[in-house]
Amino acid sequence: MSSLGFGLITAAVLAIATVGFTMQFAVTNVLNLAYGSIMINSAFVSYYLNIHGLNAWVSLVGGVGTGAVASWALNRFIFTPFQRRNLAPITLVIVALGVDLCGTFGLQAIVGGGYVSFHQSQGQEYHFLGMFLSGLQLVIIGICAVILGLVHWMLKFTRLGKAMRATSANASLARNSGVKTRWVISATWLISGALCGLAGTVFAMNTGVFEATSAQLYIVLLLAAMFLGGPGEPYGAMLGALTIGVATEVSAAYLSPQYKEVVAFLVLLGMLTFRPYGIFGSEKTI
Amino acid sequence: MSAYAFYLATIIVYGAVDAMACMALNVEFGFAGISNFGFIIFQSVGAYTAAVLSMPPAATSNGGFQRYVLGWNLPWPLPWIGAALAGGLIALPFVFLVGKRLRGDFAAVGLLVSAVLLNLLVKNYVPFLNGDAGISIVPAPFQSLWNPQALAYQFAYGAVAVVLTILVYFLLRRITESPYGRSLRAMRDNDIVADSLGKDLRQQRATTLVLGGMVAALSGAILVGFISLWAPGAWGYAETIVLFAAIIVGGAGNHKGAVLGAILVPLGFEEITRFLPPVGNPTLVPALEWVAIGLLIIVFLWFRPLGILPERRRILSGQPRVKSRAPAEAPEDGGATIRLGNLDELDMRELLRIGEQPGDDHVVLSVEGLTKSFNGVEVVSDVSFEVRHGRVTGLIGPNGAGKSTVLAMLAGTLSSTSGRIIYEGRDITKMPSHRRAQAGLVRTFQLASEFKKLTVLENLVSAIPRQSGDSFWGSVRGRRHWGVEDRANIARASELLEGFGLSQYADAYAGGLSGGQRRLVEIMRALLAEPKVLLLDEPMAGIHPNLAHRIGDQLTRMAHAGVTIVMVEHELAMMDAYCDPVIVLAEGRVLAEGTMAELRAKSEVVEAYLVG
Repeated sequence: MSSLGFGLITAAVLAIATVGFTMQFAVTNVLNLAYGSIMINSAFVSYYLNIHGLNAWVSLVGGVGTGAVASWALNRFIFTPFQRRNLAPITLVIVALGVDLCGTFGLQAIVGGGYVSFHQSQGQEYHFLGMFLSGLQLVIIGICAVILGLVHWMLKFTRLGKAMRATSANASLARNSGVKTRWVISATWLISGALCGLAGTVFAMNTGVFEATSAQLYIVLLLAAMFLGGPGEPYGAMLGALTIGVATEVSAAYLSPQYKEVVAFLVLLGMLTFRPYGIFGSEKTI
Repeated sequence: MSAYAFYLATIIVYGAVDAMACMALNVEFGFAGISNFGFIIFQSVGAYTAAVLSMPPAATSNGGFQRYVLGWNLPWPLPWIGAALAGGLIALPFVFLVGKRLRGDFAAVGLLVSAVLLNLLVKNYVPFLNGDAGISIVPAPFQSLWNPQALAYQFAYGAVAVVLTILVYFLLRRITESPYGRSLRAMRDNDIVADSLGKDLRQQRATTLVLGGMVAALSGAILVGFISLWAPGAWGYAETIVLFAAIIVGGAGNHKGAVLGAILVPLGFEEITRFLPPVGNPTLVPALEWVAIGLLIIVFLWFRPLGILPERRRILSGQPRVKSRAPAEAPEDGGATIRLGNLDELDMRELLRIGEQPGDDHVVLSVEGLTKSFNGVEVVSDVSFEVRHGRVTGLIGPNGAGKSTVLAMLAGTLSSTSGRIIYEGRDITKMPSHRRAQAGLVRTFQLASEFKKLTVLENLVSAIPRQSGDSFWGSVRGRRHWGVEDRANIARASELLEGFGLSQYADAYAGGLSGGQRRLVEIMRALLAEPKVLLLDEPMAGIHPNLAHRIGDQLTRMAHAGVTIVMVEHELAMMDAYCDPVIVLAEGRVLAEGTMAELRAKSEVVEAYLVG
């Protein structure tokens, strides 16, 4: 039962990260494999704010801001110029991998290879339904739930959200119908980048100790959650993240923590081989 | 002095190993268009296999301090041969990922993830290959006879590695410069179109992965025999990115470019950093090395996307000094200035290889209750019609009527949700599209579909069926096997090209032509595929009316010569002039069928057009 608790928190963080990742894929059609490096860079910015005396909330906002600005800049100055050249999608994936190397190891060059951790208290321990959760973990789950609710509200009820969905369904049609797609794409990268920064920071807080390459495997969980729910589908991403998050933690408890990610790997490979458009998706959605 | 000599020997071995790996990856990525982000798996399988085949059983060796499988104690060269075989075998499961029509970047992600997963498993499951510590004290070939630490031994090892690399270079070049290599590059440029011209994508991709896997594994075997250890740390997924960087820098689609990239990137970087003084924190230099690889990829893709040695253009026309007109000069006028050549004088039956001519107008192709739905929405519902031999049948209807979808189902580009397609008396509903093309059912596309980085002549020749050099083994047998036939094919394609008045573009890249010219190239290419039934998807779209009419006249000639044509069009004028009968589709259903004169009399047809 305690593994279920861990699963919930992993799932909460993963849901935030996957929703951001899948939104980027939806509006720009790029598998942004540099996502993990922006997560960990956001976490480090937040960490430095924290150890220089700012409280956890302000530091968290710093991490979120870093993710937003870095993601927006990545799209504006790297992906968009490359996309204007009408290259194959694979070229952009290779570029993203290059950016990932620069982001992750550039950070490592600056901060060194050592592990760090936030100044924070885990808070009081709570248990209910047989699960043990620290105060911090409850706060994280709370934040994630609120943010996912906000994303839902934005997609369903705001003009921006509708414009995003229109752009993702058919960018040129949306443009011809008067949607300012460039602006929508910029806004999407800012928002999804904020989610990326948030996910990176809470991931680091929850992990306890972390270093520059800690998020390298995270991209696998992200991809597994995204492909499970169908690429480009924010609600699918939430569902996929819940499944993958719980499945990895439960399997870690019953098998061995070393094989924690194996479930995610197998899900991802299975989805790519048999249903690359998600459990509920079909060809036409791509 | 001798320290430098040992160092030189090491460099030679590393250089040969890197060059071999880069050439293998280049065949996959640069020629066949498979972005194998899991490439390092194959090199690693080779290294581990060679290690455990040459090592004594784990229980008896070195006091049993390491655990591993096999331990067969085989003499050289058996471990290397075994490694190459293992590299080919491990490629087979990945064919499921790349063999079908999965987006290239999705397949690439699957391969990347496979590399990470296998590394994780090998690292954590110790009894298999000694886990994270890896396998060490791998015996060098002939070490009982000759001291591997001797300088002469190391140079001899380097020489063997270099000779093998040169052999691999010639083997790979033999394959890629054959008609089979042409098919691989066609698949790289546009896989769906290659499929529609009869290329078996799954088979081509499987062959490439197996071949690349074998060469990669051999490179791993050579490396492990020299350095005598192999561990998960040596084959992180990022090592594949280094090799991709090498190919991007050197030049994808060019074997010499791959070798140059191997020398500059993996070899260059490892060796430069060896001489850097230790500065900053211990991770600083390796970290900056990775940053440099990342920057190298981005900067090269932006400023020199074709690499230092770009893929070279293949001149087939036999007039290498005739300068092809620069693509930029191609006028964007829908081909108004194109003058068809002596097409009227060419014998269509000879050109299209039409055999016996039945003469009657029997039913060649019939469709019964064909239906296609996407996400539960029917875009084609219960469509039935017949196509008769030697006629030009028109498919007409407003936008969104399902014309192109019907055509795609006939060609097999799309599968049908229900219904049957009968061709020459055979049910072909489930037949894959490349086999339909081989059986004579050839389609063209509405959107530009030329193979961009093949020349015009290569585009045409690639479509000719049953080439003896267009298979893996045919290509291995070499030019002596297929050269004469290929020259005849080139002559045949050149004749057609001249007929269409485009000879001066024979050696220009098809991607640089104007819209009208590309349209003609596509039609010619479809003709060379020797169609019995030619399925044309809006062949006149974007073409100047004058040229459209001249093409229409040729289509009529072909039909008289015995080719059956099905043509999607929404220009009524074209239908009037060339098609009989005409089938009208609206909202996914057959609305009416008959000659244009008959259709004009029907009010619902006129209405569908006015409303639609």
